[in-house]
Amino acid sequence: MRSDIPSNDKIKVKLFAILRELVGEREITITVPTGITVNHLNDEILKKYPQLKSFSNKFVTSVNCKVTAGNTIITSKDEIALLPPVSGG
Amino acid sequence: MISITNNPLNLQEIMFELEDNSAGALSIFIGNVRNQGRSGNVSEIYYEAYSEMAEEKMREIEIEAQTNWGIKKLVAFHRIGNIKVGETSIIIGVSSEHRDEAFEACKYVINNVKTRVPIWKKEISKESQKWADGVLLE
Repeated sequence: MRSDIPSNDKIKVKLFAILRELVGEREITITVPTGITVNHLNDEILKKYPQLKSFSNKFVTSVNCKVTAGNTIITSKDEIALLPPVSGG
Repeated sequence: MISITNNPLNLQEIMFELEDNSAGALSIFIGNVRNQGRSGNVSEIYYEAYSEMAEEKMREIEIEAQTNWGIKKLVAFHRIGNIKVGETSIIIGVSSEHRDEAFEACKYVINNVKTRVPIWKKEISKESQKWADGVLLE
């Protein structure tokens, strides 16, 4: 592989509740440069699915079942999910 | 014992799981779907969960309850899917030596399940369907 060509990761992202309904999919795949952060991934998701923009401050991102800071670097091996406000019970 | 399930909840099963001869107290919280929600009349609620993470968070809450109150056993079952008015969505059961720990731990667990576990509900009526306002996870 040529080292001057940036490599990409295909990141799978689970969606729940209102976010799942707005997109119409339980899981989406986003192709991003390798070494991307959670914040960067979220920006890419909002670009691809603008219907989520009005919810951009109404969800958190989990990585491997833990809510994670925006500067966390993720890979295609991580399990990513977007979680709107919870209301169980 | 923690479970997220599509099946109707069975109180007898939960009582069986809580049996412990060293426990003098059992405290049980049962949450039912009621006919009024924030958006008005409700005929049923649709519950959705991120099950893997939800069970992990519930186990975390279980450990906190054991650490804080020294409880003997905890059973927390949450039903998901469509649940009609009058049916049960959640049962929390706690056994402990004495009643104070059982009451306190049971209240702690249900309060924390509502605010820390990735489960969502949509209130459904003849006229509308609306996702409930909730709490953003930290």
